[in-house]
Parts: sequence; structure tokens; C-alpha cells
Amino acid sequence: MTEVEALASAKATATRLGKAKRLNALLTPTTVVRKSLLAQAKEAHPSGVLYGMPVALKDNICTLEFPTTCGSKLLEAYQSPYEATVVTKLKDAGALIAGKANLDEFAMGSSTEHSGFGRVLNPVDRTRVPGGSSGGSAALVGAGAVPAALGSETGGSVRQPAAFCGVVGIKPTYGRVSRYGLVAFGSSLDQIGVLGRSVHDAARVLSVISGRDPRDSTCENRDPLRLPTVPERLEGFVIGIPKEYFPVDLNPGVRRACDRAIRALKDLGAAVRDVSLPHTPYAIPTYYVIAPAEASSNLARFDGVRYGNRADGVTTLAELYRQTRGTGFGPEVQRRILVGTYVLSSGYYDAYYKKAQQMRALLAQDFRNVFDRGVDLIFTPTTPTTAFKAGERTKDPVSMYLADCFTAPANLTGVPAMSLPIGRVKGLPVGGQFIGQPFLEDDMIEAAYALERAIDGTEEA
Amino acid sequence: MSVTPEEVRQIARLAELSVDEEHLPDLAAQMSRIVDYIAQLSQVSGGENAKPFIPGPDAIRLRADVVAPQPLEGKLSDFAPAFREGFFLVPKLGAFEGAEEDEE
Repeated sequence: MTEVEALASAKATATRLGKAKRLNALLTPTTVVRKSLLAQAKEAHPSGVLYGMPVALKDNICTLEFPTTCGSKLLEAYQSPYEATVVTKLKDAGALIAGKANLDEFAMGSSTEHSGFGRVLNPVDRTRVPGGSSGGSAALVGAGAVPAALGSETGGSVRQPAAFCGVVGIKPTYGRVSRYGLVAFGSSLDQIGVLGRSVHDAARVLSVISGRDPRDSTCENRDPLRLPTVPERLEGFVIGIPKEYFPVDLNPGVRRACDRAIRALKDLGAAVRDVSLPHTPYAIPTYYVIAPAEASSNLARFDGVRYGNRADGVTTLAELYRQTRGTGFGPEVQRRILVGTYVLSSGYYDAYYKKAQQMRALLAQDFRNVFDRGVDLIFTPTTPTTAFKAGERTKDPVSMYLADCFTAPANLTGVPAMSLPIGRVKGLPVGGQFIGQPFLEDDMIEAAYALERAIDGTEEA
Repeated sequence: MSVTPEEVRQIARLAELSVDEEHLPDLAAQMSRIVDYIAQLSQVSGGENAKPFIPGPDAIRLRADVVAPQPLEGKLSDFAPAFREGFFLVPKLGAFEGAEEDEE
């Protein structure tokens, strides 16, 4: 790509982002993004592997160019004094930062209906949710406004919206990508991921942002991910199909799409084997103990003292804390802080938090048992249903949480996983999920390349 | 309900979160729904002897024990709600002590 082409890419991206405005997926004003994109295109490194490629960022990833709001009124207009390592890596590779994408407040949600700045619409059907919490990132990629975007995952927040919007979403192994500059939600679970319009787009962005970072002690001391070549066949791959991910009440259309994908994997030469991950049904209750517990600690820093907005008219420090947090956080964040505080409180710790940690160990053991028996990858549906109607699940938090029942196990156990489009049901995208072994994202991506070529992800299942 | 409005009030205080009195019954109902759901974990046996799962590197790398400037592009005063002469400003300490008494 030449500088002229990079500038053309910047202008075209700005136009596409303008057209996608009705989705409410981008928090940065399009005029601001346009100006920034043009300036970045002139200064980008022409030798970079992503030269001229626009990448939008979920707005819980710190940037110097744009505010970082986390979708919260509490951080409205907050300007970070430093930028995330992933942002520096993208810029060094010549990518253009295409603004900040809307999200559920502090990444807590499965529908992007819990943003302080309004809900995001699904680009495939605007009456439906785009998934969450990286719903803005997924909607921008799904609408064709950008070829790739960064999201973050704590319980499936990249893969679930990727499935709902018909795009690819990759959650790497915990420790594969630096989290320096990612606003913390659940520190033992959080991981930055990538959404892309194709496996290749998502994988090459992941390759750039992966690798060691001395500023994040939870980031492994490893080289960046090397991209696999696109395989013709999948001979030699053993793919496990866990029965727990195909319950009797699984949406029939989702089941049909998965069955077709499994047939395609067999046709490609992979050996497909039934496996069991017996503790899967307990992943969501486990997640909704551990994630709120960690969130209640991480979000203690938002107290109105050092940064962000603070409540007016208070006369005591205690009032300052409580009013700032009570008026600044939205209802879902408040609910999770309360649940997190409850499960960590004296008298309940053993019953909930300790028990959840024990269950987490059993979930990790499930995956080890399967992989130790010669299985290379696991294939499942990404979500039990297609995108649901806006407002359908906001009244019952537990029904919303169950949207992540097939994605949360990978976060609880740190393994890599990805979603790719495998068909449509009544016009709505269905995602298929590969779950891989720690730090073997290349196997997962290789299989996804082959499956993507073998089936039409937009065809009715 | 497994969580009462009074318990929500108490937990909100622990979490330094102001909650409107009229929202307490709704919050108690929602928290009860969540707590009842996660309580199913207590019915599952096992795990007591399982190797605890701790994500991330086996050994945490320690940083050099040296004082270094914060790698910030802006000044603290740029993003602090109230800042003067190197300090973050909050309501007076006397007022803070009064709040503590109020809690007791």
C-alpha cells in the first residue's frame, strides 16, 4: 500500500463510519475520527504489516487521541494520560485507529444495552441486540465500516457479539496479549481480543498485538503469534464435540448450522470425536461469582477523588464516594458490585467464592482431560440462540447471563477460543466456536481458515 | 427472597454505593434471583482437592526496585476532579470524621 492508498483508506473509512452512525456503535464523533484518520495516514509506518488498515477500539482500551469512557457517565470525557500497549503495537504496525466503539458499561453485559451512551443496534437486524459487551466493535465490523476492531473478553464479550453480528471473533489465551491500558473488570479473566470480517483479518491483527510486555506481569514472555498458512485439508486434526454444548433445548437452527459445519470438518479430513466436559453447566454460576467479586474490587478505584466525574454538593468524604459511585455507575454495574461485595462478605465467602474457585479448577481439569486424550480442538456453537430482540432480557439478569453459557468456560480456564460465521437462521447469523489448547492459537486459526473456505457463513442453515 | 432490602442497604454501604430507598425492593429481588442461581454451586460436590486454577505465568516477574517517573503524557491536574499544589482535593478531614461517627 502506498501513502496515497493509505489516505484513500482513511477517507473511505471515515465515510463508512458516517454511514454506520445510526447503529450508535461509535462513541467518537465521526468528524473527529475523520480528522484523526487523515493525520494518522500521513504519519503511519509504510513498512508496517497493517499499514493503512483501520482498526476501531473498544472504549475500555486507553488512547491518547480520544477519550476513554468505558461506556460510563462516570468517565464521560475522561482523557487517559497513557495509551495501552496494544494501541502502540497497532500504530507501530501502521494501522489507523478508527475511533472508540460503544460497549456495555465497564464491559458488563451481553447485549450492549447497558452503555451509558445508549444501546447499539445489530447491523443485520436493527431491532435486535449486537451482543456484548464488545457490541460496538462487532457492529462496526459487521456493518463493513472497518475490517477489524479490538474488543475485550471477560466471559465471552468478543465471541458472543461476533456470533450475533456475523463476524469473526478471537479470544487469545490468557497472557498472550498485554492488558496494560485495558481498564480492569475481572483481572483473572480479562483478555483483549480481535473482531474481524474474516479469519485472516482478525488473525493478522492478533499477531501484531500479541507478545511480551514488561508493563504487564500477567503477559507471558513469548514471541508474537506466528500466523499459520491457509490449509487445503485438515487431515491429522482431531476435533472434539462436547455433548454438554448441544443440549436438547438448543435452538434448532443453531444445531443445524453446527451439524453442517461438523460435516464440513469431516469432509476436510479432520477426525471428529464425541467428548465430555461435564462441569460445563456450572460455568455461568461460577462466572457470576468470580467476575462480580473481582469487579467489586477493581471498580473501587472509581471514587471521584483522582479522575473521572465526581458528585456535586457533598460535604463529607463518605458522601463523595457514595454519591459519585451511586450516580455515576449504571444499574448493571451497581448490581454486579453489590453481588461481588455480597459473595466476598464475611459468612458468605466459603459458600460462594471458595466454592466457585473449586468449580473453576474442575472446569480447567475438564479441558485438560480432553486435550490430554489426543484432541487438538473442540468445536461448539458460540451461543445457544441467534441475536435476541432489544429489551427482551433486560428485566431478568440471569436470562441475560445465560447468553454467555458456551463462551464463559474458556475465560474461566484461560484457553483460547474463537467464533466464526457458520450460517444463518431466518437471516440471523450463527457462530461456530473453536476452543484450543493454551498458546496454540495457530491450530485454532488454521482450522478456522479451512472451515471458512469450506462453508458459506451467510447461507441459511 | 434470599436477600432482603435491609441486606442490600448494608452491602451498598460496604461497597460505598448510594442506593435510593425506593429502589431497594427491586434490587433485593434482582439480587435474590442472582444469588439463588449461583447457589446451585453448593449442591455440587468435589473440587476440594482439585489443583487450584491460577491463570497467567507460573512465576510473576518482578520489576526492578527503582523509583522511575510515571510514563504519563499529561499532568495529574489534567484529569483530577480537584487538584492543588500536588494534592488531590477532597472534603475536609473534619467532615470525614463526622461521616465515620454517622456510620457507627
